[in-house]
Order: sequence, then structure tokens, then C-alpha cells
Amino acid sequence: MRRAVATWLDERCGWRTLKRVLLDRKIPKGVGWLYTLGSISLFCFLLQVVTGILLAMNYAATPDQAYLSVKYVTEEIPMGAFLRGLHKWGASAMVVFATLHMLRVYFMGAFKYPREMTWIVGLAIWLLILGLGFTGYLLPWDQKGYWATVVGTKIAEQAPFLGEEIATLLRGGAQVGAVTLTRFYAIHLLLLPACLVIGLLVHLFLVIWHGISGPPDRERR
Amino acid sequence: MITVEDPVRRTLLKRGIALMGGLLFAGLMAPAGGYFLAPLWRHSDEGWSEVGPVSAIPVGTPIKVDFVERKKDGWATTEGRASVWIVTTDGAQFTVYDPRCTHLGCPYRWDTEKGVFLCPCHTAIFDMDGHVLSGPAPRPLDRLLTKVEDGRLLIRAVTHPQET
Repeated sequence: MRRAVATWLDERCGWRTLKRVLLDRKIPKGVGWLYTLGSISLFCFLLQVVTGILLAMNYAATPDQAYLSVKYVTEEIPMGAFLRGLHKWGASAMVVFATLHMLRVYFMGAFKYPREMTWIVGLAIWLLILGLGFTGYLLPWDQKGYWATVVGTKIAEQAPFLGEEIATLLRGGAQVGAVTLTRFYAIHLLLLPACLVIGLLVHLFLVIWHGISGPPDRERR
Repeated sequence: MITVEDPVRRTLLKRGIALMGGLLFAGLMAPAGGYFLAPLWRHSDEGWSEVGPVSAIPVGTPIKVDFVERKKDGWATTEGRASVWIVTTDGAQFTVYDPRCTHLGCPYRWDTEKGVFLCPCHTAIFDMDGHVLSGPAPRPLDRLLTKVEDGRLLIRAVTHPQET
């Protein structure tokens, strides 16, 4: 049965070749748990996608209803508090694991030729993750999220030359308010995830294209 | 040293990964499914508005009561002014009427001398049970659902055609 399905798929989309190239890759000697950090980050991202879609079903991005709708999810929908918790903690986990992954790549020198592009795209992905964290923090529209955004956009204001303009663009106006909320909502749900998916596809393609770089070899110093 | 030719270990690892992956997937999909499908089995009993204390309602005489009607829509609650006619003959069973005549929606009043509800627009007349005595009204007065909790009368703003 499984063979028949695999053959059916193979004839129509080259399943066996795909599986060999994507999943049955050759792995260099000496890799260990540190090499799972990227996969963990990817898992966190998928978790954020699933929980995020569900949370968005009961979210109202308006100042008078945002907090109430988040409260509704937490208190009245079955498993709502659990899924919201997953999204919240998953966000922190994603930042932590993506950062650890980046440090692993840096200290093992895995960003060197010919993998510079993987590294640069990875850096962009890391910034997108931070952007998602920053915009998502405002959405519950509680005191913590509100003031964090006020402080965050004030920090942007300190940038030389274009600080004011950058902060105004982030807020959508002079102050954090209704426009900021819908702006962050659109950025958090549409813009950043779309960019992140494109970045991840490129990143993963490059990882598969080059293969995993082995750990630095003491003998060959 | 792990060799590719070790079929037992390879099968064990494969099954182990499949099992852990399956558990993780199920652990996420169960709450996600519950969340997504919740509207199917969550029948909200919301929509009850408090009219006032039962003790304030006179026995044997209909009274018009103004109150704040709360409508719950998901997380949003809207408040509006509303009124109803309340009739009780024993102080325990309450009949609550929509304050609009069933003919064209005019507000009717209680005629104390004749003991009937009288609509000023087209002279529809109803008795204390809401039945049409005369006039153009097509059906008895509309009743609202009621319940008493902790000595306070609650009504549900869903009109509910009178039985009989």
C-alpha cells in the first residue's frame, strides 16, 4: 500500500527524488545536538503559524475591543488560554533558538565560503523574527504592550537624521494609538510572515544546496 | 559506531521519531481542533438582562419597567435602554411582554379602569394574558423568556410567540 502510494506520487511529482534530496541528505561527521537549533527554530515558527491563525480568528484590532477580544480568547474559548500561551512562549522560544542557531553558525565559522548567502538571508530572518516579536507585543493592547511600544518607538526617534520620520512611520502618526494598532496588526500578520516565509524558503534551499558544513576540524588547523 | 546496515537500530530510530512527531502533532492539533470547533458545542446562554428585583413588581397589576438591556456579541457588550410590561398574579410566575403592539409596533398602555392593554394607534385591546380582545392586532402580545435568580428578574431579549 505504502509502496503503491509512493509510486503513484513518484510518477506524478518525482516523490522519491524529492525525498532523497530533501530528507535523506548526507550529513558530515561530528554533527550533534547543536545542529538541531535551526530545526527547532523552524518548528517554533510552524507553531507560531498554527496558533497565530487560531488567535487571529478571535482578535479585533481596535483600541476599544483588542483587550476584550484577547480576554475573550483567554477566558471563554476552550483551550484559548493554552493556545495563547503557546503563541506567547513560542515567540520567546523562537527568538532564543534562532539566536542560539546564529551563534552556533558564527562560532563554528559555518557562514564562510560558499555559504555567505545562507548567512545573510539568515540574518534577515533573525531581524524579521525580532520585528514579529516587537509588533506582536502590542496586540493584546494591555499596559505592558502599550508602553513597550511607546518606549520602542521613542528609541527609534533617537536615530540620527531620520529618527522622527522612522518613528512616525512605525506609529502611523505622532502618538501610539488606533492607527498604530492596525498598522502593527497588518505588519505582524501579513507583511512580516510573508517576508519570513520567502526568507525561510531561500535559507532552506541554500542549506540543502550546499549541504551542512561539518564542525571545524582540529587536525587541519 | 552506527552503521547504515544496522536495520534494527535504524527501524527503532525511525519509529521513535515517528512516535514523537505524532505525539507532538496530536498534542498541538487536539487543543487547536477544540478551539476551532468550539462554536459547534458552545451554546451560549448569554443575552439575559436584569430587569430589577422581583419584590418591586406589584401582584395583579401590570407594570411597565425600564431597564438597561445588555447584548453580548462575542467579546463585545452593547447596552441600550429598553422596557417591558410585566404581569404577575402570584409574585412567583412572571409574564413579560414586548412593549410594542403586535399590529404596527406602537407602545400600548394599561387601562386601569377597564383592566386591559390598550393600543392608542388603532385601538387594539389585549387582556392581561396578552390575548387579543378586539382591534387589528394579528396575534397576542409577544412574550419574552424570563427567569428569576437571587430574587432578581431576568429576561431574554428574544421574542417568543405566545403559546395557546
